[in-house]
Amino acid sequence: MIGTLTRRSLGAHKGRSIFIGLAIVLGVAFVSASFILADSLRNTFDKLFSGISEGVDLEVRSSLAFGDDQSGTQRDPVAVELVDQIRAVEGVAAVMPNIFATATVIDREGEPVPTQGAPQIGTVWDAENTIGGSKIRSGRAPVGLGELVMDQATAERADYEIGDTVEVGLDGGRQQFELVGLVGLGDSKGYAGATVVAWDIPSAQVLLGAEDGFDAIDIELVDDSQSDAVQARIEALLPERTEVITGQQLADETKEGVNEFLGFFQNGLLAFAFITLFVSAFIINNVFAITIGQRLRELALMRGIGASGKQVRRLIVFEAFIISVVATLVGIVAGLGVSRLIVALFNAAGAGFPPTASIIKPRTIIFALVVGIGVALASVLIPARRASKIPPVAAMRPELGFAALTSTRRIVVGVIAAGLGAAMFLLGIFVAPGGTAGLIGFGAIGALLLFLGVASLSTTFARPVARALGTPVAKLLGTPGQLAKENAARAPKRTAATASALMIGVALVSAAAVFAASLKETFVDTLKNAVTADYIITNESFNGLPPAVAATIAELPEIASVTPVRGIQAQVEGETKNLAAMDLEALPDLLDIELREGSIEAATDDGILLFKDPAKDLGASIGDVLAVTFINGITKDLTVQGIYEDDSVAGSWIISIKTLESVSSATPQDFFVVARLADTATIEEGKAALEALVETYPAMKVQDQAEFRRQQEGQIDQLLAVISILLVFAIVIAIMGIAITLALSVYERTREIGLMRAVGMTRRQTRRMVRWESVIVTVFGGLVGVVLGSLLGIALASAVPETVINTLVVPTGQIIGYLVVAGLAGIVAAFYPAAKASRMNVLEAISTT
Amino acid sequence: MTMTAPQPAATTAAAGAIDAKKIYGIGDSEVRALDGITVTFETGKFTAIMGPSGSGKSTLLHCLAGLDTLTTGAVFIGETYLAKLNDKQLTELRRTQVGFIFQAYNLVPTLTAAENITLPLTLGGADGDKAWIDQVIDTVGLRNRLDHRPSELSGGQQQRVAVARALASRPTIIFADEPTGNLDSRTGAEILDFMRLAVKQYGQTIVMVTHDPNAASYADRVVFLADGKIVDEMADPTAAAIMARMQGLGG
Repeated sequence: MIGTLTRRSLGAHKGRSIFIGLAIVLGVAFVSASFILADSLRNTFDKLFSGISEGVDLEVRSSLAFGDDQSGTQRDPVAVELVDQIRAVEGVAAVMPNIFATATVIDREGEPVPTQGAPQIGTVWDAENTIGGSKIRSGRAPVGLGELVMDQATAERADYEIGDTVEVGLDGGRQQFELVGLVGLGDSKGYAGATVVAWDIPSAQVLLGAEDGFDAIDIELVDDSQSDAVQARIEALLPERTEVITGQQLADETKEGVNEFLGFFQNGLLAFAFITLFVSAFIINNVFAITIGQRLRELALMRGIGASGKQVRRLIVFEAFIISVVATLVGIVAGLGVSRLIVALFNAAGAGFPPTASIIKPRTIIFALVVGIGVALASVLIPARRASKIPPVAAMRPELGFAALTSTRRIVVGVIAAGLGAAMFLLGIFVAPGGTAGLIGFGAIGALLLFLGVASLSTTFARPVARALGTPVAKLLGTPGQLAKENAARAPKRTAATASALMIGVALVSAAAVFAASLKETFVDTLKNAVTADYIITNESFNGLPPAVAATIAELPEIASVTPVRGIQAQVEGETKNLAAMDLEALPDLLDIELREGSIEAATDDGILLFKDPAKDLGASIGDVLAVTFINGITKDLTVQGIYEDDSVAGSWIISIKTLESVSSATPQDFFVVARLADTATIEEGKAALEALVETYPAMKVQDQAEFRRQQEGQIDQLLAVISILLVFAIVIAIMGIAITLALSVYERTREIGLMRAVGMTRRQTRRMVRWESVIVTVFGGLVGVVLGSLLGIALASAVPETVINTLVVPTGQIIGYLVVAGLAGIVAAFYPAAKASRMNVLEAISTT
Repeated sequence: MTMTAPQPAATTAAAGAIDAKKIYGIGDSEVRALDGITVTFETGKFTAIMGPSGSGKSTLLHCLAGLDTLTTGAVFIGETYLAKLNDKQLTELRRTQVGFIFQAYNLVPTLTAAENITLPLTLGGADGDKAWIDQVIDTVGLRNRLDHRPSELSGGQQQRVAVARALASRPTIIFADEPTGNLDSRTGAEILDFMRLAVKQYGQTIVMVTHDPNAASYADRVVFLADGKIVDEMADPTAAAIMARMQGLGG
């Protein structure tokens, strides 16, 4: 019986079912999109990397003392002589030495082909070898210093054909080559967005600066089953700090790296998806609560003719169940679209995701069903329980029924939830019990409780605040404004619940804005204080700069001093640290690290400068000797020669470039280069001289302090924009929720609106009345949101270390902007309800009871 | 856009209908709610429209007030023919020239009694005649209830607010649809007294639909409807005479 009733009820209230369904669809779509996207990208990358290492049975490379390649570590090269020695080993069928270096492909306009952060690879092409998945698609293998092959995707992008002369930026400057062949990985034209150029082995060694050794030696076996034996034989040949691994290990390593990145990406998206779902739950709960009020008589009548409270509850829950199942399935399909949208969004922001086939795993569907249905059922729990308490007499006397629908415990629950939530949030971000997991766990659950608590509490002040917000509206718009104000204030619970959905979105955006503004302010301060250099030279595509850039800059008469900033990982007393290597002679001229003890001038090549914190942790003072084990396994004793107080640019450990070069033989890459103008030149002359070098080194980008600052600020803004865009889903749902609630309110007030129309309210005034009620509700939500969000943002900004954020900034203009947007959201949300109210048939409306 | 009413009507009629027909459905299922009604309502008079259920009395009222439209024929208020007006002009007309008193739910729950009384005026952006509004408020005895919301007023008080609202803008005509239908007889008599006072003292024109002979007896004239046609009229009616006439109509 309940089944039939449910079916009829759903059919009779299609609009309501669709509204509730839509809220679930949007939430579920986002959740499934997170999974679909991550799975699809994982699949694409897996294919790509297994393609690269295809046919590689064993690989010889230098070993790392700790850590892995994922952090961008460069391994030392392996000796050239090893190639022939390995080839002679019994069971080895073929050997291919490999080089991975940076080579920038220049297009016909003389500009680097953009890769949006993907690598620009220069490597070897061995005509005789079949190791690896790369294939010649057309043309032939390169021979000699004048010829190269290029991946077909890049060639097509840059409009190059076989036989063309192609310009490539190498560590030594730009050079021209003849394009003799187009290559691709497996069946694909390219390498997932990376640009690839390759020369024959001897030429690559010369051009890519690898005459002393190869980055790896790939080996093909005669018989795969002999792998262990051959591996052992090769092992015996190898010098120290060199290793031989299987192709499988190699593939697993890359896969692990990809998974790590994609897992992070997926979790980030999921966080936003859950925010969206959380907001949906608010809307669903609100819609059910309102419609149960409207169906009071119907439900009471059912009770009157003999339905038990349990059956009424079941009816409501069953309805929610059916809607959520349908909506979740639609949401999963919509997730496909959303996943594409997200890729487009990230690519527009410069992420460079390769085109992928969408993959929906059973796990995605199960998870979506669980959260979609779970959220709907959880949202309907309280309304259903209340509905079951409606007394039968309410069929005749509705006012008795409404009493059953109200709860007095709201304030107590609200205070407890908000208090507990705030405490957990603060504990999470300041103390982080149990590390990152504790930070995220406590922070997220705390924020969730806090939002629930504030939403609950906001019912207590919804009425006065709505009245206060409505007063200028009433003054400005006369009677429709007055009515809008009173309507917004008449049902504070509904106003609060409706506004809360928007409040959450606005709060998160505001928190992000406060955090970003504080970060920017701190960064600007830091840069002003810590960087005394006039120019900062970087590589636009994050691939680092060849050391020749710094060396060439040092020769310029317009430049007084210059240092590259290079990085390497090392272990000090068993803990892995990131060390910065610089030209210590130039350092005092370019960076102000606020040296407290010792002297940079006196620092020697076996010295190390320490930030005050690690110095304190190690109990190290000037003259102490630290045993530093570099990532390639070499240990060196370095003497502490300075202790400094500003680690904002250089980090906590500084060594000399010469120390680094004496330890590592990997092809060096500079993170960035800083330079100071000579007294004899003007700032414009210096800039011009530096920019003239771009001709030789196309990847380099010259910025003065102001430009660099603007670029860094731009990156923070971009991040904030991405966060805001991801929160748009939650805000769209909130707007929909306001529209639904408003439409239901208009429906409830049919008689009243009809009356006002009868005594002379025009359609326009009717629309205005509904619209401004909506604006008052959204601005109320926005107001609570920006206040709560600013507080959250301030808490977050205070929780991060002082070196990252030391100034609190509340971007007032931006936050007022969010309030304006909230108001506009109100206008958008009111569009349909206002139209519905104004088009009401007056006669029918006043005949409604 | 407005048209002048025919001469005979214009001088003394506040409103009226000319061969008004309202037909629902077609063919066999055709229902003639109004079947050729011609009637005028004299300025400064209190007219009651009576008839059994389904006689078309409410439809006539709705059409006269511009809430419903005729199939053929014409209705006018003052010098304006309603058929020519668009929604905005109709709304304007209702606001300025028509007053309404419904059976129940007459008031906007979020507004105070005072705000409800001046609602048609403020919707038009006007303040109205302050002295007149004061006089109306005193007449209906609401002075000490002005700041109350409808939920804080009794049924009788609510109807008094409705009467005051109808009078506040000094409309050409007031339409009342069973204004005492929800009230006990004593409170109902009070409301009818106010309406009668408004006609006698201030020259207000009122048209009231009712099925209560007692209520109709407060009118200057009763128009009897049956099956969408005017079947009789009575001047200066008494409750007993109306009752006798109604029994003749089978109501």
